[in-house]
Amino acid sequence: MFLPDYYEFCARVKTVAGHRALDKIPSMLSSLGVTRPMIITDRGVLGAGLIKLVSGAIKGSKLKVGAVYDEVPPDSEYKIVNTAAKLYRAKKCDSIIAVGGGSVLDTAKGVNILVSLGGANILEYEGAGAVKRKLRPMIAIPTTSGTGSEVTVVAVIADHQKKVKIPFTSYFLLPDIALLDSRMTKTLPPFLTAPTGMDAITHACEAYYCLAKNPLSDATALTAIRLISANILNVVKKPGDLQGRLDLANGAILAGMAFSNSMVGMVHNLGHATGGACGVPHGVCMSLFLPYGLEYNMHKRAKEIGELLFPLAGPEVYAATPLKQRPEKTIEYIRKLNQNLHDATGGRHARFLKEIVDREGRQMVPKEKLPDIARTAQGDGAKIYNPEEINYDDAMMVLEHAYEGKPLDRRKVRKG
Amino acid sequence: MNYDSYPEIKPGRKTIKRIYIAVMLFIVGRAIQAAGRMDKTVRKEFQNLKDDFVFALGVHPHGPWMVVGRDTKGRARYLGWNPEGKKIPLKMSIKNVESAILVFTFQESTSVAFARNRFVVDGDLIDALAVVRVLDLVEVYLLPKLIAALAVKRYPKWSELSPVRKHIGRVAIYTRALLGF
Ligand SMILES: [Fe+2]
Repeated sequence: MFLPDYYEFCARVKTVAGHRALDKIPSMLSSLGVTRPMIITDRGVLGAGLIKLVSGAIKGSKLKVGAVYDEVPPDSEYKIVNTAAKLYRAKKCDSIIAVGGGSVLDTAKGVNILVSLGGANILEYEGAGAVKRKLRPMIAIPTTSGTGSEVTVVAVIADHQKKVKIPFTSYFLLPDIALLDSRMTKTLPPFLTAPTGMDAITHACEAYYCLAKNPLSDATALTAIRLISANILNVVKKPGDLQGRLDLANGAILAGMAFSNSMVGMVHNLGHATGGACGVPHGVCMSLFLPYGLEYNMHKRAKEIGELLFPLAGPEVYAATPLKQRPEKTIEYIRKLNQNLHDATGGRHARFLKEIVDREGRQMVPKEKLPDIARTAQGDGAKIYNPEEINYDDAMMVLEHAYEGKPLDRRKVRKG
Repeated sequence: MNYDSYPEIKPGRKTIKRIYIAVMLFIVGRAIQAAGRMDKTVRKEFQNLKDDFVFALGVHPHGPWMVVGRDTKGRARYLGWNPEGKKIPLKMSIKNVESAILVFTFQESTSVAFARNRFVVDGDLIDALAVVRVLDLVEVYLLPKLIAALAVKRYPKWSELSPVRKHIGRVAIYTRALLGF
């Protein structure tokens, strides 16, 4: 068992999970002493009828929804945060219910900073240590099983003009309550269920082998991988499988606890950069870079990577694989999982950079963009926590492999 | 003699440790300035930074500190030990003296110190990562391989840092760091 000399772990979010967990909203909000929540969400969630479920759960209680802000875009921005905060104040709300994916949850955290601490522009709270006080009560209800934002200390909010993503970090950004209800992820289409689930698996894998790993993040990471790996393919094939949906949601929240405390490495480093430079959705990048992250760090983390085979493939495969072959088998398993998800989504789940296309079918990552991505990655914080050093040339080497979908030529990894 | 250019040690507990850290910061600060003249990678890192870039690295809250900036020609400049009264866009502070000792006795690499939440970064993370890369290179120049290999994730191979470049660079950087030009 690995025990660092020193570590920190904080996951103080009350979690409520079940097939009808929404019904708990009134009692939970009144125990927090509030009566007039604002719902923050996006059009997709609204269109899928999920807000109706939430208001249905509130109906007949003492709560009154003060306002609904449903215009959060997929890649939220600080202006959205400022606008939503204005609405919250105008409608005299006293708490927040955020219903959506990572973008909605992060936007809601931003709104909460403004309405709790004052001010008109969220950018004033940039940087570590700017948020020093308890914020207004907030319930986070994820509608994807991926980002884990319902239990993380960070909110990432973009500035599209400057083309940057600004992280806001504080323990006070942890919502009061994370609420997982299987009905809320049921409508997520397979081509989104696959990459968001792989994002969660990546959180857990990177938490397990990167530099800030600790016993508590290990425990949450391993259980997360077990839950997601056992269900992701089934749910992609059978989206209405409510038990599978709840398992995925539980996996994602556990993975969120793990990485919020022990951080992520190269997979996210390259993923953030590919997202920034080419606009590729986060989960897509995670799925395809994950095998490379494992391969790249293999010489330093063979033992940990081998241990991941147990929650990924189950006890039988693990026991049948000799110790020495387990790390390789883990990587093979992830590649196979990506391939299966690719097949199950009719080819929409991308396996390598070359085949990522946007809605119009245009290639999103042309080869000429790789140097751009590698350069951007040098400015992304996740590289700090990766076990092996990653400089520009290393990133280029990995990107070239990931472009074609070739396994990493491990002789080319410069080992420290 | 210009006393202002030497760190003031605030009296209090852990004085010996503070003195040690102050001396290290002083040497490393001057070495960054020297490396900015001698090493092309360090030079490039500073050229890529913003015009009025200044960073302070030290121990929260009372120091000691080192302040390093970029002059208008894009070169690294050691700006002394006192961050007060200066406009500092990037402040990297280690949370306490004990943590700083782990870092400056190279028992913990910069990355592991980050992973253990010992640093507070106030400013642009992109710049902070550039500073970490510079610190890693300066440590390779200043320290014997045995120690530097613990302080950085990957000790540069000969292909990356030729022996000639390293040894000549090391002597030059030491000389310049000690003499302060
Ligand atoms: Fe992620």
